Amino acid sequence: MTTCVWCGRMVTPTVTLATLWHWQPLSTPAVCAACQNRLQPLHAPQCPRCARQQTTTQVCHDCVRWGDAWVNHAIFPYDAVLKAYMQQYKFQGDYRLRVVMQPYIRRALARETYDVLVPIPVTAGTWLTRGFNQVTGWLTDQPFQQVLTVDDAHKPRPQSSKTRQERLRSPQPFQLAPAAEKILPNQHVLLLDDVYTTGRTLRHAAAQIYLGGAKAVTSLTLAR
Amino acid sequence: MDKSQLFGRRLPLDQAPPEGHGIPALRQVNGRWQCQRCQQWIGVNDYLPHRIPYCRHCLNLGRLTSHTKLYTIPEPNQFATLTHSPLTWQGQLSPQQRIAAQAVLRLTQAGRNQLLWAVTGAGKTEIGFPALAWALQRGWRVAWTSPRVDVCLELAPRLARAFAVPQAVLYGDQPRPYTYCPLTICTTHQLLRFEAAFDWVIVDEVDAFPLATSPLLQLAVRRAQKPTGSHLYLTATPGQDLQRQIRRHQLAVTYLPLRHHGYLLPPLRVKLVANWQSQLDQQRLPGNLLRQVRQYQQTGQRYLLFVPHVKDLARVQQALRRAGIEGGVTVHAADPQRQAKVQAFRERRVSGLVTTTILERGVTFPAVCVLILGGDDLVFSTAALVQIAGRVGRQRDHPGGDVICYATSQTRTIQRAQAMINALNRRGRRLGGRCP
Ligand SMILES: [Zn+2]
Ligand SMILES: [Zn+2]
Ligand SMILES: [Zn+2]
Repeated sequence: MTTCVWCGRMVTPTVTLATLWHWQPLSTPAVCAACQNRLQPLHAPQCPRCARQQTTTQVCHDCVRWGDAWVNHAIFPYDAVLKAYMQQYKFQGDYRLRVVMQPYIRRALARETYDVLVPIPVTAGTWLTRGFNQVTGWLTDQPFQQVLTVDDAHKPRPQSSKTRQERLRSPQPFQLAPAAEKILPNQHVLLLDDVYTTGRTLRHAAAQIYLGGAKAVTSLTLAR
Repeated sequence: MDKSQLFGRRLPLDQAPPEGHGIPALRQVNGRWQCQRCQQWIGVNDYLPHRIPYCRHCLNLGRLTSHTKLYTIPEPNQFATLTHSPLTWQGQLSPQQRIAAQAVLRLTQAGRNQLLWAVTGAGKTEIGFPALAWALQRGWRVAWTSPRVDVCLELAPRLARAFAVPQAVLYGDQPRPYTYCPLTICTTHQLLRFEAAFDWVIVDEVDAFPLATSPLLQLAVRRAQKPTGSHLYLTATPGQDLQRQIRRHQLAVTYLPLRHHGYLLPPLRVKLVANWQSQLDQQRLPGNLLRQVRQYQQTGQRYLLFVPHVKDLARVQQALRRAGIEGGVTVHAADPQRQAKVQAFRERRVSGLVTTTILERGVTFPAVCVLILGGDDLVFSTAALVQIAGRVGRQRDHPGGDVICYATSQTRTIQRAQAMINALNRRGRRLGGRCP
């Protein structure tokens, strides 16, 4: 008997005909069926640019205002379930909860076309208090390049406590790491982040990546 | 940071304070890590990068890792001296309540660990007032805690009105910051943040979930109390363990077998029914239960219908509808409209409430009758049955009412509940209790 890593309830192994047929060891999922069911992926129609769930397939108001052709893919709507998850994982620092999202990130990455995967970094200060990067926590064995660095000085307050206006005005927080010049030229880079809120952070990151010589930059986020 | 924040506490801080003693938050014992706040063992997978262990058990009080230190300053009881009793309560205790209150006060003065075993509807909160007033005037630091947040929320404004001392209220999503006060009202979970802080700890509804089954919370209560301190447990339904402590004289006890209005408890009646579970699967209810509800419907009598599980709620409501009985709503712990529905029932906008054991205690509805479907189900413990029965007849002008339990058999648990009610009523009769 094991317990669900998220809700703590008992989980019983699932026996399918396939597992019996192939004599696979009984696998106990880390997350119970009830918790899996609460996680409902984004569905159509979405904004073709930022993946926001909406009632039409038109480019959404926010993307029109950006006036660029940025493409972001996302897995879940940033609803009450995802907020509760991020609260426990990122803000309470429950690193163990990374396993909940690992399979979703793995499948989503398999659907993407890219040469280099670049997770959005966290500041040294965040490393000290949180002790982990919430984005790389979701990666299992997928290769990635940490070509971006971020300064504490540029993040005086956590992103989540800013208003939309403040976020849009926020200055470029990222720099290129020394290794970037060897890695980036002529590559298609996929940025990975937790939540697409205004798109400001990803565009700041992309601007630096283009400076490093990348030919294309797109992004994947857990939630939109 | 004001140093009073550390008085009698176990607080994780990033930087060492100028004053105070720090201990590592996680300690390694025979190769396994143990949390020094909640005493639980760290799971084999509960590590941050670089093999830094962290505690998931008390995560909602702020994460502790092997790099965290917990700081404390020994409790100095630095409170303003009170020249008068801080009790501003104007109410009157009944003669029986007064006797019990005196007994509790004497045991408190003697520094004894004690239990106030007062029947449901006895007014046990007010019985503790004289002892609390005495303790606060002596400069004691007191915690009034309960495993149930709804009990704390209901209690806090009453204590604020009754006592003229600074008070802190602590619970899970509490928006206000912590302040150092002579009287702290909090959930037992919050006591994990304290160490040898309180001269006196009152534990309200001591037998309620989750305290009764949680060694972690029991430890929290023990550790928050000063080694020289004592505690008062309040309950209508002490479990086997507390009753054993009473028999062994490890716990002094004050009985109050009579309700504040002087009437005895309504008895728990059992009606046998054929397999109610398979009936429910076909969206049917036992005939005698339906007849009873229909009668309530005709006479305008309000009722609470307890069912064992959340999944039974919708089926019971379906079955009632099929039988032509409308006007009831269902409620359970995770129901987002729980407060609103309970309020609607209280205001008589709803004639019946179909509920899980979530409403077994801490709620008072005037002139209500209680039906229990599947009283033989395991979720209805002896304590739960006695508490449920205690919802009936709490008001002076409506001291009686039905308590009917529908079960496939008269289980030992049901018999124990009946025996507990009968025993309390025997004691109550000796004190002049009347049948409602
Ligand atoms: Zn779960
Ligand atoms: Zn968009
Ligand atoms: Zn802990």
